[in-house]
Amino acid sequence: MKEEKPVTENESAGVEPAFTPLGTPPEPPVRSREGDIIHTSPELAVGEGDVRSAEMGAGLVHGTSLWRDAWKRLLKNKLAVFGMIIVVLITLASIIGPPIIKKTTGYTYDFIPRDVTFIKSLPPFTTPEGTFSWSHPMGTDNSGRDILARVLIGGRISLMVGIISTIVSLIIGVSYGAIAGYLGGKTDNVMMRIVDILYSLPYLILVIVLLALFGGKSPLGQLVLLFIALGSVSWLTMARIVRGQIISLKNQEFVQAARATGVTTMKIIFRHLVPNTLGPVIIYATLTIPSVMLTEAFLSFLGFGVQAPLASWGSLASDGIQNIAIFPWQLIFPGVTMALTLFSLNFLGDGLRDALDPQMRKV
Amino acid sequence: MLRFIIRRVLIMVPMLIIVISMTWGLIRLAPGNFYTGERRLPPAIEQNIRAKYGLDKPWYVQYWRTVSRIAVLDFGNSLKYEGQSVNTILARALPVSASLGLLAYVLALIVGITAGSIAALKQNSGVDYWSMALAMLGISVPNFVLGPLLVLLFSLTLYWLPPARWSGFPSASLILPVITLSAIYMAYIARLTRAGMLEVLRSDYIRTARAKGLRERDVLIRHALRGGLMPVVSYTGPALAFILTGTVVVERIFAFPGLGTYLIQGCQNRDEPLIIGIVAFVAITLLTLNLLVDIAYAFIDPRIRY
Repeated sequence: MKEEKPVTENESAGVEPAFTPLGTPPEPPVRSREGDIIHTSPELAVGEGDVRSAEMGAGLVHGTSLWRDAWKRLLKNKLAVFGMIIVVLITLASIIGPPIIKKTTGYTYDFIPRDVTFIKSLPPFTTPEGTFSWSHPMGTDNSGRDILARVLIGGRISLMVGIISTIVSLIIGVSYGAIAGYLGGKTDNVMMRIVDILYSLPYLILVIVLLALFGGKSPLGQLVLLFIALGSVSWLTMARIVRGQIISLKNQEFVQAARATGVTTMKIIFRHLVPNTLGPVIIYATLTIPSVMLTEAFLSFLGFGVQAPLASWGSLASDGIQNIAIFPWQLIFPGVTMALTLFSLNFLGDGLRDALDPQMRKV
Repeated sequence: MLRFIIRRVLIMVPMLIIVISMTWGLIRLAPGNFYTGERRLPPAIEQNIRAKYGLDKPWYVQYWRTVSRIAVLDFGNSLKYEGQSVNTILARALPVSASLGLLAYVLALIVGITAGSIAALKQNSGVDYWSMALAMLGISVPNFVLGPLLVLLFSLTLYWLPPARWSGFPSASLILPVITLSAIYMAYIARLTRAGMLEVLRSDYIRTARAKGLRERDVLIRHALRGGLMPVVSYTGPALAFILTGTVVVERIFAFPGLGTYLIQGCQNRDEPLIIGIVAFVAITLLTLNLLVDIAYAFIDPRIRY
């Protein structure tokens, strides 16, 4: 934790608030970010922060950081905990699931049995003879491939796409927003106008054109193209959020102190300012993952994303929709898995937002 | 206000040029050509084709030709659908996409605002919890999962509605696609409305309105709704863009011959005029609609000055 960050309840109690923005006397906006008490117990929120913290401080002698507070609040939110558990389970399953399936039933995501002579997809828990068996808990697809194994591999790809593209958007968005926000003036104006312009372009249409024209060479190349396309779409909002945060932070005393001691601009931005924007950035990043996954699925569904024999939830759904009338399980299993994951990630993101920034508890 | 509108209209021109140039560049950089098929063409024929379509000229001449033609809204002839101009194809595909998109938009607004307001008024009640859980579900279920599931239920099991195929504007074939397309926006709008309303209902001016003895209905509709809908209004711009791209998927699911279908076909055929035509058209639509949303914003919220 950075020294200059006001994080503990006790430190602020009674001590002169060190991080007020210039020109505003003791009741600082920073203060209201410190703890949940001010927001969650409105009957106490009368601005007597110091007295109250001192009173309550007795129980908080060990000091509690912003992050520990947030973690506690997160654990109180049942839906967020549910989301977290589901996300962890699905992630684990898609990492260790495929090897286990290979060990137990001998099927892999791209294994096509040799005896498939006609197009027939097996329903869940069924053998070719129509009796019950555990070998295909989700049935098979048209080529006789095990759907469970494909759903798990699809999960790997979908989650990987979500996480990597979010990281790409984090790197671009945070640097861009931070630089624009800190430099301000003309630079800021130009940089943000560019973001505005990109915002109002029919971006996904251009991405479709890009993938349709350049894609289809090799599965791996397609995947890289997909990362570039998705990452370049999703950094805009991140840049705006970070810029807003930086602007509200950059005139505070710790930045002035850093500047006075001759710290370089880049170091001020990335060592002193960016770590202080972590809360909103984390919140937005968690909510970016499901939206990127949805975009990936949308592109794969149209046939521009992940190519066979690799699978993602979108491409599995796209395969499944062709046989929806006769083999509905081909669509239902990947579709429901994806919906459940997105559902959980959204709940987790909402929960994180409520936990890290109780004032933003809105939608 | 007038100055703002003029400035916005003027900035649309360079943005359109950017979009068109990007698309043009992508098509030119991409491997493959519209005339290369399964079989290699004899060099003489290839040369003739290149000469006919002006591909033998330097790139800046070709670029200038494309851009200057689009400036007068002539997108040229399709390379694959012979004898058809891109404008004809646009005129044929637009009604399909437009009716799909507009109906979904209106449905999302009506249902979303109603559900969100009711949830906010009865905060923490059963209605609130259920509608918000449903909204979360709506955000999480991708439309290409929802659509086929609806088809499975209503068309292939209950036989109530046609499963696919476009059959004119007011027809039952539109019901499932419109629901599929609007579900996620319905959910977003419901959540935004609820949040906005909750904030406004606690504000001082609502208390004032109640205190001066206004009827509850007037307080809600004339005062609360107007303030509470601000987040929804600012979401309408992005929502339009998403609906435009959402139609691509829904058209694919329900086999509708709309703009998205033609765009994908155009990309697969390397049909340059068709791709550029559709992208430019979509960009123009989007920019215009965004401008309208911003103007509407200023009318609804008197605090906004441009």
